[in-house]
Amino acid sequence: MVLKIASKEMKEVLRDGRFRVLSALCLVLLLVAVFSGKRYYEHVNAQHRDAAEKERLNWVSQDAKNPHSAAHYGTHAFKPKYPMSLIDQGVDKYTGVSIYLEAHVRNEAQFMAAQDQTALSRFGDLTPDFILLFLLPLLIILVGFNAITREKENGTLRLLQSMGISPLNLALGKWLGIFIPVAALLAFIFLLAAWLLNNLSDFGTFSLSALLILFSVYLLYYAVFSNLVLIVSAWAKKSSIAFVILLSAWIVACLGMPKLTTNLANTLYPYPTQQEFMEAVNEDKKKGLDGHDPWNDAAKKLEQEVLAEHGVDSVHKLPFNFDGYLMQKGEEHEAEIFFKHYEHLKEIYEKQSSLYKNAAILSPFLPARFLSMALCRTDYHSHWHFSDEAEKYRLHMMNALNMDFADNSTYGDWSYKSNPELWAKIEPFDYNPPTYASVLAFNAGNFTVLIFWFLISGVVLVYRCKKLKV
Amino acid sequence: MANRQQFKYEWLGLLRDRWVLILSLLLLLVCIYAAYNGKEKVAERNQPIAKAMDEMKASDEQYKALIDSVAQGLKTNLPAWQNPQRLNVIGQRAARVAAFESQPLALVSTGQSDLFTHLVKPRLYGEALTLGFSELSNPVQLLFGNFDLAFVCIYLLPLLILAFSYNVLSAEKESGALRLTLAQPIQVTQWLLNKLLLRFVVLAVIVVIAFNVSLMTTGLNVVSEFSPVMKITLALLAYMLFWFGLSFWVNLRGQSSGSNAVVLVSLWVLIVLLIPAMISQLANNLYPVPSRVGMISELRYAEAEAQKNANQILESYYRDHPELAPTDTSAQKLYPFWLSYFASQDEIRKAVNPILSEYESQLHKQQQTVDQLRFLSPAVLLQNIFNESAGTSSRHYNSYRQQVVVFAGEWKNYFLPRMFRNELMKKEWMDELPHFSFDANKIEKQYTADVLALLLYGFAGFVLSFLLYRNYVTEKVLLT
Repeated sequence: MVLKIASKEMKEVLRDGRFRVLSALCLVLLLVAVFSGKRYYEHVNAQHRDAAEKERLNWVSQDAKNPHSAAHYGTHAFKPKYPMSLIDQGVDKYTGVSIYLEAHVRNEAQFMAAQDQTALSRFGDLTPDFILLFLLPLLIILVGFNAITREKENGTLRLLQSMGISPLNLALGKWLGIFIPVAALLAFIFLLAAWLLNNLSDFGTFSLSALLILFSVYLLYYAVFSNLVLIVSAWAKKSSIAFVILLSAWIVACLGMPKLTTNLANTLYPYPTQQEFMEAVNEDKKKGLDGHDPWNDAAKKLEQEVLAEHGVDSVHKLPFNFDGYLMQKGEEHEAEIFFKHYEHLKEIYEKQSSLYKNAAILSPFLPARFLSMALCRTDYHSHWHFSDEAEKYRLHMMNALNMDFADNSTYGDWSYKSNPELWAKIEPFDYNPPTYASVLAFNAGNFTVLIFWFLISGVVLVYRCKKLKV
Repeated sequence: MANRQQFKYEWLGLLRDRWVLILSLLLLLVCIYAAYNGKEKVAERNQPIAKAMDEMKASDEQYKALIDSVAQGLKTNLPAWQNPQRLNVIGQRAARVAAFESQPLALVSTGQSDLFTHLVKPRLYGEALTLGFSELSNPVQLLFGNFDLAFVCIYLLPLLILAFSYNVLSAEKESGALRLTLAQPIQVTQWLLNKLLLRFVVLAVIVVIAFNVSLMTTGLNVVSEFSPVMKITLALLAYMLFWFGLSFWVNLRGQSSGSNAVVLVSLWVLIVLLIPAMISQLANNLYPVPSRVGMISELRYAEAEAQKNANQILESYYRDHPELAPTDTSAQKLYPFWLSYFASQDEIRKAVNPILSEYESQLHKQQQTVDQLRFLSPAVLLQNIFNESAGTSSRHYNSYRQQVVVFAGEWKNYFLPRMFRNELMKKEWMDELPHFSFDANKIEKQYTADVLALLLYGFAGFVLSFLLYRNYVTEKVLLT
């Protein structure tokens, strides 16, 4: 009986002009979005590979020079794109594309794409995530808002009930009738995406299981919306009322809540401005060790300690160049300051994130949004990981340069030039993103909320249907 | 006569409809909340600027006193390399605050203001073209955007209009009153037009009141900002007219209320969500932003090459600028290191500038082309009007960046010739240092074109529907 209802419902949905037009529109848009996403991905990736190679060439072909000059020349770490970004661009537009790694400073990523675009881009881009997250739920609403109200309005609910069908079976049939067509659309797009991803040249970084998890996230998201649509349709007396309620719910969940939470997060846990942040860093730096200034207090103290440790009375008698050693200690000290301030920033970011997680109680859009971009490696957390790894590499690089200076020159010899072979000895930055296991563990909260949404809306639906009266 | 009667009864009907009251109150509350958010954003932007300005003034006074002391031969506790008589010390440490303060109406639209910093200090040793203008922010917030008045007007206001008007004709038809109405000697298009016009006027009054009241609750003086507020109001009216025109057309199709609602909501999705996203995507594909990554590679190569030649630079610098070479060669040079440093910087700048300016001009061309695409969508037009009035458009920030670069040049040009002339900083010079003020007049105004286009969209809906349904066979379509 359930299947019969489901197949009747689906038949009706498929015959319905609204669904045909809208789903065809969604499908066309998705196809365009997926193909242009693939093109964009390949284009950006080629650019980044090329730039990384050139930058490496710039680095290794430096002349013989003081290692610290090389440290100031520095290098760039380009943020890689991952294959699944063609499904969800996430926050990539709002994070920079490369981090400049130089002596003394931890830089933020530079050149966010949104800064080079006009305000038009703030409307969003036609990417698959835009359609999957915003439009398909709307499609579910447009298809299903009158699924039960229609039966009431036409008087067919009485007929159905006289046939002895239980309200639960009726609801399940209706549910399947709404859910299956949308799920089929989703499955088609994901199959296409899997095929495209499989044919990418750098297939190695793509994981089929991640794509499957992403697929199930979206299925769950649509299941929640199907539940909500049927709850309202079972509750409302008239189709028009059901429609208005569902539309308002969609606006609140997909447009209102994200913005409201953003404003709230900004008020409760504001980020410092760039100026404030750098001032705080500089304030701490002033108090501490300056690798360029052997006369400041901290440097003097370090000198005494090192002399005592080696049992000599002058820096000239040390087995290494104290200038280089001091430079390295200064670098380590500055790195600690940056670490402290970035950890503080991270705390604010985590507070903001938990606010978004709490707001998810009012919006199933939010957990789906965060999960989707996390799995596509385009979320803020991925960016943090990249930025932290780049910083580790920077410190490794600075260490190699400063220690070359310390080990191979004598105190006061600022004209020392290291052999150009040193540049090549420092291996290029090889970034590995966090594993999917850790991505999933980090997003367990979002998963839980989404599953809660499904379970609770399911229970309410069952309860509502049991009370369904003619 | 018939028209007047109709207006009267419609008006009474609207007065008694409690939904009109509820929705108006809701709109007012939402507007006030959005204006409050906007005000917070503006405060967030202006506070650091005010703080930096105060600090700058305080430090200027300190420097004046210090210069005085040093000139009189008194001892200060500053290390030698911070001697305030040295021009390079002042140029680096007493940098001016180049701030982009908010315009009076900034609170109506966050626009691009969350992407950029509004305060930089170009210093003597730094490079203006590589100054960072990014603001620290959580990109998730940038992705979701803000709940500001622009959002309320662009996204939510159309829905209110649709709720007010989607069933104007169909409700009468469904209740059977249409038959009676059309028994009068009145044309259905004219009759519907009257009904919608009345609703337009009522809603326009509500919106204008809600908009202005919400602005006033933030403490904005609406009277002294009369002209920009009027400009936005006019644009809002044109935008509302467009949505009423759309509703007019959908009503005339003579479908049921439910069907009208679905069609209108689909159109809303199309116009405020899909078309802007499609235009944006189109722009990215047809006119891609030139690659920053590619620019970095070129820049770094040029920089490395230029650094290699840095040795004989000072000589060649004097060759290019003989007017700057010191005439009194017997005097001890005050700034030997800095002059050669600037000279080598200049060499690098010469290598790097063509790449940067080439990039900038490509980007400018791209943005201008993309800007033209705004005419394809009333929502994008309204957004542009909001951002322009708020002073938060992309053009404002581009101009700010350019003005800062020009100012950084002035700053350098103040110090360099004096350093070449071997001079020391004087106390009275502290007051004549170049200072930055943002000039909003340098920004291209697009308001007139935008509002005309919006009005065109507004009237087009009505005129086209009128022409299309002029010979409407009411009996056949509307009464069956």
